[in-house]
Amino acid sequence: MKYLVLLVGDGELKPWPDHTPQEQAEVMTRFEAFSAACRARDGVEILAGEALAGPEHATTLRTRGGTTTLTEGPYAEAIEAMGGFYLVEAPDLDVLLELLRVLPPYDIQLSPVVDPY
Amino acid sequence: MEELEDVVREEWARLVALLLAQFRRLDLVEDALGDAVEAASRTWPDDGVPANPAGWLMTAARRRLLDRLRTEEVARRKLPLLLTDVERRAETTSTMADSGTLVEDDVLRLVLMCAHPALSPESASALSLRLVLGVPTSDIARLFLVPEPTMAARITRAKKRIVGAGIPFAVPDASVLPHRLDTVAQTAYLAFTAGYAPGTGPDLLRAATSAEAIRLVRVVLGLRPDEPALVALLALMLLQHSRRDARVRDGHLVLLTDQDRTRWHHDDVAEAVRLLATPSLAGPLTPSAASYVLQARIAAEHATAPSADDTRWDRIVGLYDLLLQVTASPSARLARAVAVAEDQGTAAGLAALEGLEIPDSHRPAAVRAELLARSGDVDAARAAYDQAVAACRNDVERAFLVGKRDAL
Repeated sequence: MKYLVLLVGDGELKPWPDHTPQEQAEVMTRFEAFSAACRARDGVEILAGEALAGPEHATTLRTRGGTTTLTEGPYAEAIEAMGGFYLVEAPDLDVLLELLRVLPPYDIQLSPVVDPY
Repeated sequence: MEELEDVVREEWARLVALLLAQFRRLDLVEDALGDAVEAASRTWPDDGVPANPAGWLMTAARRRLLDRLRTEEVARRKLPLLLTDVERRAETTSTMADSGTLVEDDVLRLVLMCAHPALSPESASALSLRLVLGVPTSDIARLFLVPEPTMAARITRAKKRIVGAGIPFAVPDASVLPHRLDTVAQTAYLAFTAGYAPGTGPDLLRAATSAEAIRLVRVVLGLRPDEPALVALLALMLLQHSRRDARVRDGHLVLLTDQDRTRWHHDDVAEAVRLLATPSLAGPLTPSAASYVLQARIAAEHATAPSADDTRWDRIVGLYDLLLQVTASPSARLARAVAVAEDQGTAAGLAALEGLEIPDSHRPAAVRAELLARSGDVDAARAAYDQAVAACRNDVERAFLVGKRDAL
């Protein structure tokens, strides 16, 4: 299965800009450890993964009655703090949950990608 | 037909687990097995019960499943390809089915899948009763007091979620297995509580629900014999369940102190006391296992006291103090206040109740009312009973509270 892993919130962690450079470096090692753990695991592959720019750079499209309007900012407050995402191939939810324990304890939403077959 | 009911009761989990291991089609397995049971109910009375009833059901269900898969594949026009694939898998798993340990693993996989933490506790309970114990959907609906179509939809939704979210039919890594078994225990306890203390409705107690929850724990404990959370939970359930015939008289609630102790099921109590002596309970425990152990020891103090007056309230208060260190839940504080009142007097009990509130619960007000009545403060007691009656949603308990208030 493919999962979209959305890092939707900081949870109990400080916001990224409040980290000292050394703290930021420590967090980065956890992301590297996650990549390594995924590489080492049979049937698991990170298909894509990026950090996202802050909500002030997001643009939201809404189409109502055939008219599309653009607004500044994220779709909803819930995803305002979304910091990044992965697209991961994993055999099942448990394998993915086990690997995600390597990442910093962000709030994370897991959405399976729809299998067209 | 009794033989059929027995084999369904005893073998259901194994049959579901084997079919799932073989076909991985949660959406088809239960229907196929249901069809097999239905076919058995038609043919066994005339043809006689087969020598291997579970094997008969397995073969019939497997045939049903293969038919369904073939139909699906015809629709996709890929028939030859699939047949070879399915038949090859059928061959490999039939050898697997002969090996005892592999089958036991399959049942554990089934239990862990049904009580996965990614499912809501209500869905997990219903699904466990259906797939692990084979309780018919109509009965589960009755046990949880919802209409049958609602329960059927809930079970279907849960099965779709398992497939959609990728919840595996697998035993997880050893580092997370104890936590997963905690979730299984919580799932069973939720089902037990639905029977032991129904929050709403006309019955004070639905012993059948509690009995099914106990059966679920026994099945899992059979697979993981020393798992502390399950051992302690079974002890706790048995101790509470042992009082089922004494808790209600003529449709009225009977308080623990007033219960006829000869009507307690002392075989249940004895089994629970034996379980509490299990060596694994002395080892390191997860917080929820520790909480079950302490609750069970408290229940055992009550169950083994020769009479209400002989209850060792001092020991019970000590156990509640430990329990509050593990889980500072308001219901544990409430129960501790009751024990303090018995051990050290009404004033100490009222002091222990100070500031305690449980949202949507009548119990703190009911306890305060009782203690105020004992201390002779009739006006304050009546006000507290009014508050409790207004908040109570169980018909039998409300009648009990009204009776107490009117007797002031």
